[in-house]
Amino acid sequence: MIDFGRVQKELQECSKDIEASGIKVTPKGDNLTRLLGTIPGPTGTPYEGGTFQIDITLPDAYPFQPPKMQFATKVWHPNISSQSGAICLDILKDQWSPALTLKTALLSVQALLSAPEPNDPQDAVVAQQYHKDYQTFVSTARYWTEAFAKTSSLGVEEKVKQLVEMGFPEPIVRSALEAVGGDENLALERLCSS
Amino acid sequence: MVSDSITNASIPCPNVKDLGKKKRANRSAKLKQCKLDVRREQWLSQVKKKGCGEEWTGDGLHRDASNGSSENVESRRERGRVEANGPGSIHHDSDLELSPSNSPISLNSILGSNDSGTNYSGSGSSSSSSADCCSGNITEEDDEGGDDGCLDDWEAMADALAANDERPKPPSCPPPPQDLTASNGSGMIVGGENLRSGTRATPAAANTRAWRPDDAFRPQSLPNLTKHHSFPNPSDRRFVNGGISWAGCNRIFNVPTSCPICCEDLDLTDSSFLPCLCGFRLCLFCHKRILEEDGRCPGCRKPYEHNPVEGEASVQGGGLTYRLTRSSSLMARP
Repeated sequence: MIDFGRVQKELQECSKDIEASGIKVTPKGDNLTRLLGTIPGPTGTPYEGGTFQIDITLPDAYPFQPPKMQFATKVWHPNISSQSGAICLDILKDQWSPALTLKTALLSVQALLSAPEPNDPQDAVVAQQYHKDYQTFVSTARYWTEAFAKTSSLGVEEKVKQLVEMGFPEPIVRSALEAVGGDENLALERLCSS
Repeated sequence: MVSDSITNASIPCPNVKDLGKKKRANRSAKLKQCKLDVRREQWLSQVKKKGCGEEWTGDGLHRDASNGSSENVESRRERGRVEANGPGSIHHDSDLELSPSNSPISLNSILGSNDSGTNYSGSGSSSSSSADCCSGNITEEDDEGGDDGCLDDWEAMADALAANDERPKPPSCPPPPQDLTASNGSGMIVGGENLRSGTRATPAAANTRAWRPDDAFRPQSLPNLTKHHSFPNPSDRRFVNGGISWAGCNRIFNVPTSCPICCEDLDLTDSSFLPCLCGFRLCLFCHKRILEEDGRCPGCRKPYEHNPVEGEASVQGGGLTYRLTRSSSLMARP
């Protein structure tokens, strides 16, 4: 059973200094097991200016087990899968501590964006590019930030709502959004063409 | 460092002020007190016969089952007490340091907020788990069993301290005004003490302290004097009689008021529980849960040592046995 008291408190704490940290955690639905984290791209990196969304799923044993985090926004980064958004970060795996919180974990993810670890890659293609052609890596990462992390200020749920209001059924909207990496315009094209 | 045995140390105090408290005690507390008395007698007689706590454990379990309904009330009271006692005990310390004659008053005011149920401090943990209550009681009762002796010691101690403190005063210096200002809140603890040790011979200066640091009777709740001296900012040492300004001390002494893992308030047992040398505190429930899983301290990620705090064992054997028996009984629970 998840310690909802703690999760509630974490959400409160997080919303208190949202201006200072830029890190936001909002519940998806009403049961607090699925949350959406938002982190700004760190300045001085190819991710600067982007807003990255992270799907958070809390396991039953949270906070004794780490939260499951996955990028919902497409990112070009050696330690983040460009396909699935899976994050390779020790504190989300064996180095998790119950003293960490969603906010500190998201801060660590943000720090990972500014300090890639290409020798322990999640995405081998990106890591190879990072090693062999750093300039291309930087420009690709910047392009992905422009393309996927800035498309809209809307959250995924709002995009879904928008498209559902246009008359598409919700499950199809969700799968279309997922397939195009969260861009509502691409999703709309896809929905119209199918 | 605050230790588990804080509860042992404070046991005699409520007895001393029994009269004042009984007026305040509500009905359920009286009932509880009654039961506790009966249990104590039972236990004493059993110890005389057997000299062994085995049977008592069963008895304690039975008692807890029958008392289940009043446990909630007690746990709430216990919580309140922790909050009242946390800063309060520090306040109490500085009181004693300056003028031991003040101590009964501050003791009364602090402990007066407890109903008589808290006379039996060991049951603080019983609010959360019945099993640890009874095993905790075994060692806890050792203190209570010798209650009368303990009481005498306490009073004798207080008398001796008062006498000790008054003896050097009249001939050597006219410090009453100093004491007055100090206890009125305008003086600073360390400043005052330095002043005195400057004017007096060294042994006399030692007497200004209510308890020596190595004194066995020194309550564990008292912070180390060295801590006082190491405060970077002298304004932190300002002593205000109301004790309100000491609320910030929780931060200074780095004792969180709620468990950082489960966000529940820490009760007295929890806040005196120091499982790791890194200083990371958490409640006993979260600690147990972590021990069941990977057993690493959330603060430093090092594995918890088998024997939580070794330093404490040398200070107070009773406190340690108490904790160990309790944790073993926790394991036994389903």
